[in-house]
Amino acid sequence: MIGRFRKMLGLLKPEFYHQTSDHLNPYFTFPDYRKIWGIGIFVLAAAALLPLMVVTLIYYQLIQKSVDSELILRTERVASNARRAVTFFLEERLDALRFTVNEIKYDQLTNPTHFAEILRNLKLGFGGLTDLSVIDHTGIQVAYAGPFKMEGKDYSKQAWFIECQKSNFYVSEIFRGYRDLPHIIITVKSFRRDGTHFILRATLETERLIHTLASYETGEHADIILVSRAGIIQTPSKYYGDIFEKMALPMPQYSPRTQTVMATDGQGRSIITGYAFISTQIAETPFILLVIKQKAGMMGVWLELRSKINWLVGFGIMVIIVVITITCTLMVNKLYLADKAKTEAMTVMEQSNQLASIGQLAAGVAHEINNPLALINETAGYVKDLFVIKEQYSKDDELLENIDYILEAVERCGTITRQLLGFARKFDVKIQRANLKEVISDVLVFYNKEAEYRNVNVFVDISKDIPEIETDRGKLQQVLLNLVSNAFQAVNNGCNLDIIASPDGANKVSITISDNGCGMPEENLTKIFEPFFTTKERGKGTGLGLTITYGLVKKLHGNISVKSRENEGTTFVITLPIHIQEEMRKDENSFGG
Amino acid sequence: MKQYDLLIVDDEQRFADMLARRLNLRGCNCDVCYSGREALNILKRKKLHLVLLDLHLPDIYGTEVLTRIRKNDERTPVIIVTGHGTEKDRRECMQQGAYAFMHKPVGIDELMTILAKIMEKST
Repeated sequence: MIGRFRKMLGLLKPEFYHQTSDHLNPYFTFPDYRKIWGIGIFVLAAAALLPLMVVTLIYYQLIQKSVDSELILRTERVASNARRAVTFFLEERLDALRFTVNEIKYDQLTNPTHFAEILRNLKLGFGGLTDLSVIDHTGIQVAYAGPFKMEGKDYSKQAWFIECQKSNFYVSEIFRGYRDLPHIIITVKSFRRDGTHFILRATLETERLIHTLASYETGEHADIILVSRAGIIQTPSKYYGDIFEKMALPMPQYSPRTQTVMATDGQGRSIITGYAFISTQIAETPFILLVIKQKAGMMGVWLELRSKINWLVGFGIMVIIVVITITCTLMVNKLYLADKAKTEAMTVMEQSNQLASIGQLAAGVAHEINNPLALINETAGYVKDLFVIKEQYSKDDELLENIDYILEAVERCGTITRQLLGFARKFDVKIQRANLKEVISDVLVFYNKEAEYRNVNVFVDISKDIPEIETDRGKLQQVLLNLVSNAFQAVNNGCNLDIIASPDGANKVSITISDNGCGMPEENLTKIFEPFFTTKERGKGTGLGLTITYGLVKKLHGNISVKSRENEGTTFVITLPIHIQEEMRKDENSFGG
Repeated sequence: MKQYDLLIVDDEQRFADMLARRLNLRGCNCDVCYSGREALNILKRKKLHLVLLDLHLPDIYGTEVLTRIRKNDERTPVIIVTGHGTEKDRRECMQQGAYAFMHKPVGIDELMTILAKIMEKST
């Protein structure tokens, strides 16, 4: 459970993101893993999401187009049907008037009783008529049938009267007139026997027309209205102004057929407008029929579907991004870890190469120094011999003392050159079976007293299942002595020293020697196996102890590594083969090959 | 005190001479030569108690000199005294029957101890 949680936490905080091994940086194949991670996610996301987004957009466009064309078609159909209804309404009444004029003589028309009878019959037959009147060519109303008192009115100055004389049939706009009520006038011109003309005029109820139009309205967002060619609203509108006001929308271009256009209204709403110029077979009319539909309202279903698709696509994008991020993080982290392992191996290799070449150099120097050193030794020795033999000098203690200084110095140099040569050279390894428990306790015997009076807690843990190993017991003892001695020097009184031995895989054992002493800074870690590197006071260490230890471990076909933190302690880990002879054979084969 | 007959073979002439003088002071009778060939000639003529042999000789390499000595004479102890010895040299010399393999500088007391041991054994 904890492991799984840690793994998840690792995904959120991958190792490469906090690249900690700064000292290894120059050796990494890729210097900036965060950048690789970023680029990886970006490229993969772009490759995965771009087609998805393009396809979605194309799909939206196609849907939009088909919805638009469907809306246009529907609007056009409504406009066309409404046009037919309005045209029929007007045409029917114009035809009725024409029939009346043609069939009934002027004298009968002007007879009030007869005229009232005609109106009643027309109302019964067609409906939608308010009144009927006959106006002579001077504009004076000569007969009237209807609910208002309009007899004798003079229309000669009225615009509609002037207009209707120009042609045989006339349909007016909706206007208020003398009666102050919205109405339409339709007229038919006819000639009397004396050659003068008269006008038969009927007034139409607008309610009937409005009702007819309203029956074609579909939905909340549709408006169906009549406007005059000058743009004055003739029938009530839901959205585009009151009756007799100027229409807010621009007037369409004349067309004999029903048309549909897409536009934006004054409030910025997308609209589809179907329009038709109304004209009957016998007369033009001033009306334009407008069917205005707001797209937003009409496209409700599509918009709802689109919102669902948007959610689905959004969720898909999220999933893709999450998967890509996780995959990228895992892969980049694996790459980073592999690179790190390679870099560490290279660093170790470089270090051991460096140590080997330093060792060779040191051995070369030691060789060259040995001969002159031997000469100094023999010469000084001979001088001493002479002094001892010759009586005049043998009493001179100062002379003898100085010669001894020279010999001592030569001895010290000899020790150093021998140690250096020892590091470089592979002396024969005397192989015997060794029990690690015994070897370690043999080494600790030397430090029991010191541990006691310095109160250093030595903890030894030898795993029970550790096998006996084939090794050079003496060399292993020297290695352990060096490391334990170093540890004792590093710890203060009352500190701890742990020695742990355990199997390391099937063919190796590892011995860990750790203390909680002074430790060392990271920059020293890479140098501690180099010859003459010492952190001890001048004259207290030769700087060869760990170099020799390293050389000995290598001779035993093992490895040694060190970890340390300043003021926290140092840990040395030695791994040794269980069967050294197998390793030696492998080595010989590889050299031979 | 019995005289030890020694041969010092070393191309480093002053070293060889000094060592000879010091050993002579300690009761030895040292012959000195500076090449392998010379050493082999001396050994043909003379019976010696010990040979101190350097490896880096100008004419014949020390191990080869040892091999040739062993051909004629299996008993004379030979101590290799060198400043340049490698592990390979050491192994080879010990196989050829060298008594010891020592690195320069050599302590005179150490040498005398070894010499005493050899004499003890031979008697």
